[in-house]
Amino acid sequence: MNKTYLIIGFIVMIAAQWFVPGQMIVQQERVLTEGTAYKFKTMPIDPSDPLRGKYIYLNFEMQNAFTKDSTISYGADLYVYLKNDADGFAKATEASKVKLKIDQDYIKVKANSFYQDTINFSVPFTTFYMEESKAYPAEALVRQANRDSILNNCYGLVFIKDDRAVLDDVMINDQPIKEYVAAHLKENTEQ
Amino acid sequence: MSLKIEKELDELVTAKVITPAVQEEIRRYYARDKEAQPNKLFAIFGVLGSLLTGLGIILILAHNWDDFTRATKTIWAFIPLVVGQLLAAYALLKKKTNAWKETAAVFLFFAIGSSIALVSQIYNIPGEMSSFLLTWIILAVPLVYLLKSHAAALLHTLFVTIYACNVGYFNDVSPYLYVVLLGLMVPYYWTQVKSKPEDNLTGIFNWLFPLSLLISLGAFMQGGDNIGFVTYICLFGLFYNIGKLPFFANQKMRKNGYLILGSLGTVITLIIASFEFVWDEYQYFMTSTNDLVITSVLGVAALGVIGYLIAKKQLKVFSLFQYSFIVFAGIYTLIQMGGEIPMVLTNLLVLALGIFAVEMGARKNLFSILNYGLLIITALIACRFFDTNISFVIRGLLFVAIGAGFFGANYFMYKKQQRQLKNTTHE
Repeated sequence: MNKTYLIIGFIVMIAAQWFVPGQMIVQQERVLTEGTAYKFKTMPIDPSDPLRGKYIYLNFEMQNAFTKDSTISYGADLYVYLKNDADGFAKATEASKVKLKIDQDYIKVKANSFYQDTINFSVPFTTFYMEESKAYPAEALVRQANRDSILNNCYGLVFIKDDRAVLDDVMINDQPIKEYVAAHLKENTEQ
Repeated sequence: MSLKIEKELDELVTAKVITPAVQEEIRRYYARDKEAQPNKLFAIFGVLGSLLTGLGIILILAHNWDDFTRATKTIWAFIPLVVGQLLAAYALLKKKTNAWKETAAVFLFFAIGSSIALVSQIYNIPGEMSSFLLTWIILAVPLVYLLKSHAAALLHTLFVTIYACNVGYFNDVSPYLYVVLLGLMVPYYWTQVKSKPEDNLTGIFNWLFPLSLLISLGAFMQGGDNIGFVTYICLFGLFYNIGKLPFFANQKMRKNGYLILGSLGTVITLIIASFEFVWDEYQYFMTSTNDLVITSVLGVAALGVIGYLIAKKQLKVFSLFQYSFIVFAGIYTLIQMGGEIPMVLTNLLVLALGIFAVEMGARKNLFSILNYGLLIITALIACRFFDTNISFVIRGLLFVAIGAGFFGANYFMYKKQQRQLKNTTHE
């Protein structure tokens, strides 16, 4: 291969290898700095990814939205519009296949089933990566706390800007989950 | 040179079969051959080292060090990538040896994966494993061509297979991108086949390519009926006929993955299809268009290869293995008459293949093919014991007969070879 082409090819390859993760970072950072924060009530479950590590899978309470459109099929892309309820948690006001001209933030979701003016959907930000030793205790602690009724709230703090939503943290009783887990683990070892 | 050859040479000189001068010539030939060895070894260990280091880095990063700030973790995401790129640039621009290029390519391959994985982890970016693998594979493709890295080509083939399985198995999506991604390796493979046909690496690819296709085929199928048998038989027919192309047929058998996979695959699939339950469970209305199209494409491709062999006058000796996919496709069409006839015909086809292999082994004086044929017949008889009500005495007698057949055929062949050897010595 001609040396000039080789060098150009090499530079393009390096640029692409930087561009992909770089662009991922820029997109996420823009949402985190410029987006609006919403609290989504959730419960964590602990699965594992062989390459990206342990994460907690978040089972969100918000799964339904109002819509008059009965033609929405399973797996269709939907816009779900949000507002905060009286307790300050995110609440879906309505869902639509097209963007609506209303001054409200929205998230893009995948539609599941439609029943009596209500569409069931799956939110996209269900993955929260944690240090491997904390993922399972996180799930166990939340389950225990929920059973003992000492859990006031468990929610995902999600920043939203335009089409993008970034899960920033998972909070338990207004404390970041990793601090909550670390404190409980420390407490258990001291006892 | 190995100690064994060294010893043999001494014996040959003592027995005055070769002169000391010839012995010296042979020694020098082996010594020259060995000169290329250290570099090869260095390349192998370099690749292994990079492979382990790269995987190790991915695992260390997967721990998710949550004591670090987001910025620190982001810097860590790029460090392996920078190291890999610098290594690759150094190997490329300084025109270092292949060992350097291979090592750098493998390290960079894993560094790409680790950087995307870590960024996904830092920002909790959701996404399927398949889209993560796809981005990784595409970003790493240039390594094969820019660094001329064989190890990167091997990793690419392995990863596209994993990608196809991840996308296509256990759901209804067909991983069509797999075809494009595997196609990206064709120019590399073609160059390798053309320039280094005898190379061990080409031999590895002669196995890896058909294996990748074989593993991934299921990911394209929607299932629900038994047309899958025809699909796989067509794929194995295609492999077998590719293995018969002059280029592959002139290779050592162990380097001809197409031929071995084609032959073994045909026999195993046909033996499974020789069971009654396969034809009983047939449901005609469930055949999907997708599966029909894939089967037709594979069948036409296999016929195309046979056509090419005929055009090049390469089909001098008849081989049933080459045409068994056509015969089985014919048998399959009889299914509308009920399951019994196709089942009996499939049994006869397997038996014919066994007898054909025995005959071919005897004709070519090859113990391996002769015993392969006998094994096919034994497997068929053993399988029939599961779904037929033959008395134990007859089953026993059949086994004794086949055992005697094994002994007799091998003894006959051994005697034949001895006779030929005697004739050659006399001449």
